Amino acid sequence: MLRVLALASVVLLGIAPQASQAITVYTSWERHALVGSDIRLSCSFFSWRFVSEDVSFTWRYRPDGSRDSISIAHYAGGEAYTDNKGAFKDRVEFVGNPKRRDGSILIKNLDFSDNGTFTCDAKNPPDIVGRPSSVRLLVFETLPIQAGVITGAIIGVVLGLLVLIVVIYYLMRFLVARRVFSLNVSRNVEGPQLSILP
Amino acid sequence: MLVLIALSILHIAAIILLLVATIDNAWWVSPTMSTDVWGRWVLTNNKWNLTDLPSNYETDYLQAVQATSVLACIFSIIALFVFIAELFTLPKGRRFTISGVFQVLACLFIMIAASIYTDRFHVNEKSLGNYGHSFILAWIAFGLTFISSIVYFVLRKK
Repeated sequence: MLRVLALASVVLLGIAPQASQAITVYTSWERHALVGSDIRLSCSFFSWRFVSEDVSFTWRYRPDGSRDSISIAHYAGGEAYTDNKGAFKDRVEFVGNPKRRDGSILIKNLDFSDNGTFTCDAKNPPDIVGRPSSVRLLVFETLPIQAGVITGAIIGVVLGLLVLIVVIYYLMRFLVARRVFSLNVSRNVEGPQLSILP
Repeated sequence: MLVLIALSILHIAAIILLLVATIDNAWWVSPTMSTDVWGRWVLTNNKWNLTDLPSNYETDYLQAVQATSVLACIFSIIALFVFIAELFTLPKGRRFTISGVFQVLACLFIMIAASIYTDRFHVNEKSLGNYGHSFILAWIAFGLTFISSIVYFVLRKK
């Protein structure tokens, strides 16, 4: 009885992980870009299996405020297909390396109408169960300073100056003390006790 | 001995006031709203909700106030530790210059923070609220740090 149980548990442990393993897709959370520039949206995935021949990437775009999304790039069967009809015609290019689990796309000449959410869906047959990942694109005329940058900069600079001044002070004292010590030795005088005054 | 205790109490009080001014959310208050340099609490439907600061705040000045008030706290705390160290290591007759320097820097920073806030924020909102206790404590902390730094510069070790 015990042996049957042991055998069953080993078999179940062998099968269960494979059934529950899923593909995990990674993209950035949010990207900022200047109008007129190009941007590379990265997409990568983690899968327990090796990259298969039928690996596929699909990029969808959903404008801000809309509920529909359209496909703008697709890679399958070793071929990349990009938008040739819609708003991204001739502007999107597949620049990833699927063999290295990289499904990035390059979007050229950004405009304010490109604000929205880009979703990457990667499939690595037979590992197809997974949630697509989205990256939000924000297009600016001038890049704003992100929150807290000035605060952090001021604090960092002041504390850095403080540390620098302390280090230089102790370095100068050490060098002066060493010079005085070597002078005393060369003059062969019984020098006074070197007390480092605080 | 008495002078020592009084000085320590003064310094610790200044640190506490600085921390309360930086952390507690009451630089500008009204019956339904309480704000400071980090966020804003708004009373809606009998519930207080934490919201972001309004976007018409000038971010440069806001972040300068944030940075200098944090730096004032840091420098005052460092000054306390330096004072304790100097108590034990300073030879007789010397002044507590380094503690005084740190404390006067803390005084300078909190003065910058409170001044920028007074001058640049809520200039047209006089009827919508009034200054809260954190703001007042920031100015009082300026006074306390100033006095204690003067004392450090004048006092000699016995």
